[in-house]
Order: sequence, then C-alpha cells, then structure tokens
Amino acid sequence: MINPRITRTTPVIMQGITGRAGQSHFRLMRAYGTNIVAGVSPRAAGGDLDGVPLYASCAEAVNKTDARTSIMFVGAEQLLAAIEEAVAAGVKLIVTPTEGMPIHDALKAKRLTLSAGVTWIGPSTPGMVVPGEAKLGFLPDTTLAPGPLGIMSKSGTLSYESGYRLVQKGIGQSVWVGVGGDPVKGVRFADLVPFYAADAQTEAVLIIGEIGGAEEEEFARAVTANGFKKPAFALIAGCSAPEGVNMGHAGALVHGAHGTYLAKKSALEAAGVRVFGSLDEMTRGVVAALRR
Amino acid sequence: MYLLEHDAKTLLGAAGVPVPEGCLIESVEALERVQLPPGPWMVKAQVPVGGRGKAGLVRMTESRTDLAALVSGMLGQTHRGHVVGSCRIESCRSAPSEVYIGFMLAPETGEVRVLATASGGVDVESSGAVQSRVVAPEPAALAQAVVELSASAPEPIRHAMIEAGRVLGEIFLRRDAVLLEINPLFVAADGNWLAGDAKMVIDDNALGRQPEVSALLEARASAYVETHLKWTHGFDYVVVDRAGELGLLTTGAGLSMMLIDELRANGIRPYNFLDVRTGGLRGDASRLVKVLNWIAEGPNVKCVLVNVFAGITHLGEFSRLLVQALREAPVLKVPVVTRLVGNGLDEARTVLGEAGIAVEPDLDEALKLVRKALSSQSAGMGGQA
Repeated sequence: MINPRITRTTPVIMQGITGRAGQSHFRLMRAYGTNIVAGVSPRAAGGDLDGVPLYASCAEAVNKTDARTSIMFVGAEQLLAAIEEAVAAGVKLIVTPTEGMPIHDALKAKRLTLSAGVTWIGPSTPGMVVPGEAKLGFLPDTTLAPGPLGIMSKSGTLSYESGYRLVQKGIGQSVWVGVGGDPVKGVRFADLVPFYAADAQTEAVLIIGEIGGAEEEEFARAVTANGFKKPAFALIAGCSAPEGVNMGHAGALVHGAHGTYLAKKSALEAAGVRVFGSLDEMTRGVVAALRR
Repeated sequence: MYLLEHDAKTLLGAAGVPVPEGCLIESVEALERVQLPPGPWMVKAQVPVGGRGKAGLVRMTESRTDLAALVSGMLGQTHRGHVVGSCRIESCRSAPSEVYIGFMLAPETGEVRVLATASGGVDVESSGAVQSRVVAPEPAALAQAVVELSASAPEPIRHAMIEAGRVLGEIFLRRDAVLLEINPLFVAADGNWLAGDAKMVIDDNALGRQPEVSALLEARASAYVETHLKWTHGFDYVVVDRAGELGLLTTGAGLSMMLIDELRANGIRPYNFLDVRTGGLRGDASRLVKVLNWIAEGPNVKCVLVNVFAGITHLGEFSRLLVQALREAPVLKVPVVTRLVGNGLDEARTVLGEAGIAVEPDLDEALKLVRKALSSQSAGMGGQA
C-alpha cells in the first residue's frame, strides 16, 4: 500500500537545491518543519546550504544520510534523469513539482517507479503536506491545518482556495496530496484510496478534479472495490469548458464523450461520492459532515 | 496540440506514410492560385474536433465550380465551438477495405494503448468494438500489438495493417504524440494502403524537442491560437465567449476554470480563461499589460475581475504591477474588481486603494461587486442610446 504519511523526523534529501526556486523553497520547507538532511548538487558538492550538506550525487546523499525521500526542484528537461537517479539510489518517495515534463518522459518515469515500487508524486504539483509535520513542495501555509480531511487534487490553486475556505471554518487536513494536472503522472486519485481508508486520522476524503482523463472514474471504482466507508466528496472544475481546447492543464482536455464533466459526476455519484457544484456548496457540505 | 488534418498528413507524409495528394485553402480566391491535386475531390473543413462528416463538413465533388461553392460554404462556419479557417482539398480516394488503427496513452501504467480493427468507419471509435492491447512505449512492442490485433484479418488487409502499424507506431513515439488515429486507413485490392484521415495530437510540453511540429505551429498561428500563445508567451489564455461581458485576470488553471463554471451557472458571461502565472511575472508588468489589451478586444467586456490566491507571490508586489499595467493599458476603460487572498494583503490594499481600486478578499462579495458593475454599465449604455 502506498503510504505518504511523512513526519517531522522523516529525513528528506533535495535534488535541485541550489537553483533560484530550489533555495527559496528549501528555506520555506525547513521553516515549516521538514527535516531536509542533504542536498544534491554536482557543482556545489562538499559545501553546504544553511548548514545542510551538499553531495555530488543522489547515491552519495542517500548513503550518507539514509534518507529514502526526495523532493526535486529540477527543470522539465532534466526531470526524467533526476527521477532515474533517485530510483537507482534507493529513494522510495519522490515528489516533483516541475511543470512541463514531456509526456513520453513521464511514461518512462511511470514505468520505472511502478516496477521499482517507488511512490512518485507529480509532475505539475504543489506537492504534499502532512499538516503540523512536514511539507514537500509549496502548498501555502495559510491553507494548512491539522485535521480530519484527506485532500487529493489535480489543481494547485483550486485546492488552495478549497483548503483555505475549510480551514477558515475549522476543518483541517490529515494528509494532503497534490497529484497534479498532467495526464501521465505518478500517484493517481485511486492509488491513495487504501491509504485513506486505513489512516486513523482521516475521517473523510475530498478529491479536487477536473475534466479530461479518467482519474475521477478510477477513483469511483476504487471507492467501490475498497468498500470505502468514510464520506467521500468531489469538486470538479471545467463543466463549461469547450471541447478540444486546453485550459491550462495538459490533462484537462475533452475529446468527444471522453473525460466530460457529466461522465465523471455520474461515475462518482454511483459510487456514493458526493459531487459539489460550487466552492461554496463544497465548503458548506464538508463542514456540515465533519464539524462536531 | 491537436493538429489540423492537413498538418498531420504533412507530418505523416514526410515520415513515409502514404496520404492522398492535397492542399490547404484559406479563402475562395486562393482556389484560383493553387495547384489542385487531380480530381474528383474531397473538401474537408479543418477544425481540431471530430464529427465533421455528420456536420456536412466533409464533401465530395467532381466539378471545379462546386469546389468554390463548397469551400465558401464551409469557411467561417462554427463546428463544436471552432471556426473553420481553412479547408483541405484532396484527391478523392477510396478502396474496398477501410481499416482503423489508433495509438493513445495508457496513463495508469505508463504504457500505450494500441487499437486496431479490420473494419473501420465513422462510428468505430465509439462503438466499443475495437480490440486493444496495452504495451510498453517501445517501437517493437507497438508493432507487435498490431500484428496480434490483425491476426484474424484476411489478406492482403492483414499485411497492410502490420506494415501501417509498424510505421505509425514508430511515428507516435518519435513525434511525442499523445494520440494518433487513422480512420479510415484505406487498403486496396493489391494491398497498398493510404491514410484517408488523420487525427494527431502532439504533447505541448515536447514542442521544444519537435522542431518540425513547432514550425507548423509558427506557420499557422491563427489555427492554433491557444497553443501558439502558450508557446510564445509561457502562459495560458483562451477566449471562451466572444460575446462575454466579464474579463478575467486570474492565476491558476483549476481555480480559473472553476470560476468560469460558477460565473456561468450564475448568469454571468466570462470573456476569457487565463492562468497568468503570477510567479512568472518577476517584477515586470508587461505580461499584465498584454493580457489587459487582449481583454480590451472583447466588444462586450464591461468589467474585469482580478482573482489571485497568492501561495508564494507577494500581493504587495503584484498590486504595484497591476496598477502599473492598468496605467499602461489605457484601451481598457472598464471598472476593475479585485479579489486577493494571501501574503501581503494589507500592502495590496494600500497600493490599490491609492489607485482607487477596492480589494475584496471574499470571492462571493467580489462577485456582488462584479454584478453591480455589469448592471450599472448596461444601464449607462442604455442611457447613451
């Protein structure tokens, strides 16, 4: 079973730590509580960043620290190679916020991580957080609070808006995983159903999906197959998007009858998942179900 | 990037796939200037969606006079939201057998779904009757899948399918395609084959390593408006309703999509979709100026809603850029409603307040302001008339 539950003591290495974005997010993640124990930087190897040692390769960083988790801030063209390096070094949880990864590269990374038993979150994701424990990526602090709701999302900003509204009403999160908006990715909605079913802190799950692809339908099937007993909610963007036009996310594309809002809504509802029509309705519905 | 059939056939033809001879016509007058392929002809409207045949946008003719009438009738028509900007005129070809071959992503496993059947036809894709194999994204695996899927086809169809499957599978992988479908693929009595139609979608993320595809994009920017814009400017902007009354200056694809859904459900017509990527502004207002000028092209736009949920972006800095952009885009003379949440909200209030723009952190309250602006604008215009 995939288990994304990290804690404040989970040792984490960071690939792409010395870039502009990398350095900035390194400091923000540490400030949140993430235990970053090493960075990978062929050029700056031997040195350190704010006291965190930098190594020339992933293998060296893993050997020296025994970390099995990597957060990557590397460019789209280098991402496949960076994932391959991490898998070869024995990393078991990889988070890749990078946008713009070529899809055929993602196919290769998907096959590799699946066959190696590695959990890959991304690409095109703000990352994941266990609120109060640790953050891998850049989900905004204002949207986070420890609580009973498991969140999975294809969209960063729509999940920020949702998380923020719920936190304002006193509903925090157990584990929040941004699966990302690309068509080919690592972890998908359905993959985490067994985890959320078993996780003691999680009392309900919210998926934030969008048109295109079949992940929402897969999630519906997984909910049924797993006998998922906790309340499950969904918010799906794009019901009014024109056919054949990309709205920002590569995965959010409707072709004919495939990937439409209605197909997703009916599959989810048939599995007992409550689908909300607006952010406001979602907030009221989730709060009513979880507030005591 | 959903290629026009003409561009798909150009790419396929260059890679060794036999296609009917054809040319692209963007106006009736151009008919006089081009070298037409041998008739009789098929006239095919070029739009990036299916269902053209049933909409009367694929027609056959033997007469040159009819050709002009058909082209003129198709150009400018709207099919499933896409305006027909060009037609492909090609030699009419047919054959005793029509085959279907398709390749698409299998995202659950990181593989490729290969589909093939010896009986093609317009409804084959939705009929559910096509057998498929999910295989590794490697040329030999794709070719082998077609061999297996065509096993029961009679000769010479089987042989043609195997040959076409090998060539097409290789192109699917080499061109970073996310979808490649040939329906129909004509097979002649002698076993020769030909791609009658071609549906090909290329991964936008791979355009940087596909110079032949990006060249097509550059050559025909008006046919690929959204992809070209993303390729040139690095962010997403889509006009969703030419008659829309509300311009959107928003960031985040999912949130902007949801906002459009909710506006429409509440009877407000948004003009555009935008994911401006505030993180990519880097202290420069030019992207915002560009967007405001584009929004100003909307003939009915009466108000602009700015919606930014700042995760990392500092709202004070964003607000200064927004004020600067509004000054530099004077074409846009409509009220601006600003809804901001996140880092630096107090500073944003000060900066925007000095420029006479109110900030509303609650989206529903902001929408009330939008509604007010829209109704007072229409009342004002009524008064002028």
